[in-house]
Amino acid sequence: MADHHAVASAPHGGGGGHATVRTYINVAIALAIITAVEVATLYIPGIPSTVLVLSLLAMSAIKFFLVVGFFMHLKYDHPVMRALFVGPLIIAIAIILAVMALFSAFVLLPRVVL
Amino acid sequence: MVDHASAVAHAHDPNIGTTGLDNRKVGMWAFLGSDCMFFGSLIGTYLAYKGKSISGPLPHQVFDIPLTSYSAALLLASSLTMVLALAALQESRVKKAAGWLFVTAMLGLHFVLNQVYEFTTFALHHGLKLSTSLFGSTFFVLTGFHGAHVTGGVIWLLILVMLALRGKIDARDYTKVEIAGLYWHFVDIVWIAIFTVIYLIP
Amino acid sequence: MATQAAFMHGSKAETETFWGTVWSWLTTVDHKRIGILYGTSAFIFFLVGGIEALIMRLQLARPDNTLVGPERFNELFTMHGTTMIFLAVMPLSAAFFNYMIPLMIGARDVAFPRLNALSYWIFLSGALFLNSSWLFGMAPDGGWFGYANLTTTQFSPRHTIDFWMLGLQILGLSSMLAGFNFLVTIINMRAPGMTLMRMPVFVWMSFVTQFLIVLAFPAITVALILLMFDRFFGTLFYEPAAGGDPLLWQHLFWIFGHPEVYILILPAMGIVSEVLPTFARKPLFGAPVVIYSGIMIGFFGFGVWSHHMFSVGMGPVADAAFSISTMLIAVPTGVKILNWIGTLWGGSIRFKAPLYFSLGFIAMFTMGGLSGVMHASPPVDLQQTDSYFVVAHFHYVLFGGSIFGLFSGIYYWWPKITGKMLDDTLGRWHFWTMLIGFNMTFFPMHYLGLIGMPRRIYTYAPDLGWNHWNLISTIGSFLIGVSLLFFIVNVFRTRRSGAVAGNDPWDARTLEWSIPSPPPVYNFARIPQVHDRDDFWLQKYGDGHGGAPRPKPAPVTAAEIAAIHMPDTSFWPLLLALALAVMVSGLMISMVQVVIGGLLTLWLMYKFAMELHRPAAGHGH
Repeated sequence: MADHHAVASAPHGGGGGHATVRTYINVAIALAIITAVEVATLYIPGIPSTVLVLSLLAMSAIKFFLVVGFFMHLKYDHPVMRALFVGPLIIAIAIILAVMALFSAFVLLPRVVL
Repeated sequence: MVDHASAVAHAHDPNIGTTGLDNRKVGMWAFLGSDCMFFGSLIGTYLAYKGKSISGPLPHQVFDIPLTSYSAALLLASSLTMVLALAALQESRVKKAAGWLFVTAMLGLHFVLNQVYEFTTFALHHGLKLSTSLFGSTFFVLTGFHGAHVTGGVIWLLILVMLALRGKIDARDYTKVEIAGLYWHFVDIVWIAIFTVIYLIP
Repeated sequence: MATQAAFMHGSKAETETFWGTVWSWLTTVDHKRIGILYGTSAFIFFLVGGIEALIMRLQLARPDNTLVGPERFNELFTMHGTTMIFLAVMPLSAAFFNYMIPLMIGARDVAFPRLNALSYWIFLSGALFLNSSWLFGMAPDGGWFGYANLTTTQFSPRHTIDFWMLGLQILGLSSMLAGFNFLVTIINMRAPGMTLMRMPVFVWMSFVTQFLIVLAFPAITVALILLMFDRFFGTLFYEPAAGGDPLLWQHLFWIFGHPEVYILILPAMGIVSEVLPTFARKPLFGAPVVIYSGIMIGFFGFGVWSHHMFSVGMGPVADAAFSISTMLIAVPTGVKILNWIGTLWGGSIRFKAPLYFSLGFIAMFTMGGLSGVMHASPPVDLQQTDSYFVVAHFHYVLFGGSIFGLFSGIYYWWPKITGKMLDDTLGRWHFWTMLIGFNMTFFPMHYLGLIGMPRRIYTYAPDLGWNHWNLISTIGSFLIGVSLLFFIVNVFRTRRSGAVAGNDPWDARTLEWSIPSPPPVYNFARIPQVHDRDDFWLQKYGDGHGGAPRPKPAPVTAAEIAAIHMPDTSFWPLLLALALAVMVSGLMISMVQVVIGGLLTLWLMYKFAMELHRPAAGHGH
């Protein structure tokens, strides 16, 4: 973490306010479209399950970071806020993956049960 | 004496620290980081037990993807109305902000009611309860705790609406509404993850 | 600023009577008073846990002993472990976080003073809740890590596990609330000029500890929630008959449990890093390296948890991965030990009680660390796991490490907190009896473990060759008890006739020594401007390379003091903690109580939040 954040002269709230209502609406439209595509992907016949899983995860990640970046202002906010959220997020994802590996759960992911 | 003056200036608002950041906002982000670990542990549990139930019903037999997609859309829409409320408050348009906050709370309430309907259907029509199988246990506890987070958020938002209508909230209270918003969006992104990982991935 | 002396109003008049004093402590939001509350409660629970240990040692003093039966013995080791970790070491550390962090970073209080009070009252209610199980004859008996499925209703049908599980849940909430508070305090409340790398090392280690707390506790919260659902609502998480896997508990528990080990040791490491430079009259050797090592320990602390589980058979890949990460985490720990020794090297050392305890910490912790590295190798671990060797190991790090470090802090900061010096001769008696007693108690356990004595057994046959080492261990444990008597006598003598400390009795280096002892309610009459690490030392002596001492700041005026505004007292934290206890204990009694307690909690949260919303007119702003 950078040292210069300790200076007393930083503006209140640490930036923010760069996003406009226009941006918000654009982000919401993007979110709606991605969700529609996500659900539609399920109904494409014959799609290989690995491709299906990876593309669903990718679309979900894009939605996640759109909300965090724009609606929660993290894109514009102070680096301290980013560190407080992204650090734990990485640890949480790493632990989910490790637990799945320990329970041999990866083999189950691409399996389509009929 | 400049330093002294700035220290005194900060004493006006006890919530602003020497970095110029608002304590409550830093605290909320720290809480959300911690809540990542909470939901991470629950999602990890769900995935570790995925496909290991020894009796039915199985996920694809009970999930109602159109209904859940509709719920997901409700939460995404509520995130938009939340930022619109904040934008209105920033311009000191308190009535408008209260309106958007109310819409946000109602969208959240609709989500919760959908979940109640979903849970009831699972239990009554598919015979899937907490104690039916590992799937029942992991699914209800994970989505139930998310639903509890949404419910808490709805109560928080309705209190803010009430305060705004009574004239107890204005543009000076931006941070108070902002941290409620951060919490609300977090609940939304948790659902983005749950929707994909639990419902969509077969 | 129409707040002339507003920080005193309300408490001045009330503190004159006895009940006024009680009320002022029940409603305090002052971080110093909350620190004292934490420290006092934790020390009492430390004695409770110690008595539990002594009973166990008496039972094991000779073979085929019948002082306590196996059921009671299970309760004793479960409550001893749980008490020492959650009710003694963690809150003792919290006492120092509370009292010292604001003073060391030049702040007037923590970021959220009322939340701080709430953390304490929740901690106390959780601690009392857990120990009230003794009164009902239902003390927890599943071991401090309560492995599933021993804890399910099938094998623990009574409320014993409920007390443990709900008590830990309450204590975890308290720790997490305090964690958020200190994170924000350290990030946001540092005095102007105190950059992160100028922060005292104790504050740094506390900072890492708070991250560990807020990120590790959610894992045990989830593990306990799943257990609670299994016990109360019939879910199947830990039910092998339904495909559930008891290993899930072990994983979730140790995802919390290993960071918890560092939560227990890092604050003590921070204390030692303050004490050594003061008594060696030298800056901490390689302070940035000590800090980076602390961060590394915190980060790696999340990647080693399965080394507690080598014996369950996770397979060669998992064993190898966790073995390597465990060996890696020993590196930053070793680096720190090197730095502490480097700090002493060539210093003009003054042998006072705080230094003795810090030196004891380094020696004992190193031994515990070395036996810890041995466990990192799965084949070696398989020989040692669940034997007394492990008991010896973790007492060397948690008693030889944490407790020695915390006592070092107690002797070091006592003058700051009370204004009086603890007697140094009694302090040295305390140290030597504790060191000898400690080694007599725990060193033989290494040997006992290697010749086959398992953990948690309540008695043993006379022909196993364990008899005299067990007896020596028991004698040692009572010597530890005697050493604590020296400390208690010292405390009471100091209260009556201790030497007055003055601002800076140790000729120390950090900001808390620049203000009176005990500090005024507002801590710093003027928030200091910081230019360096060890700024206070440089003010006194210059940089040691011929540079002149830094000019002292101008005297504080009465008007400045009059303009200070401190937060008012509040009774909502206490009430909120009570309501929470009503709700949680209702889970064992009736759902009606849960609902009533829950609604009460919600209402009180609202009152708590609204107390500072738009303060009433005439209140200042």
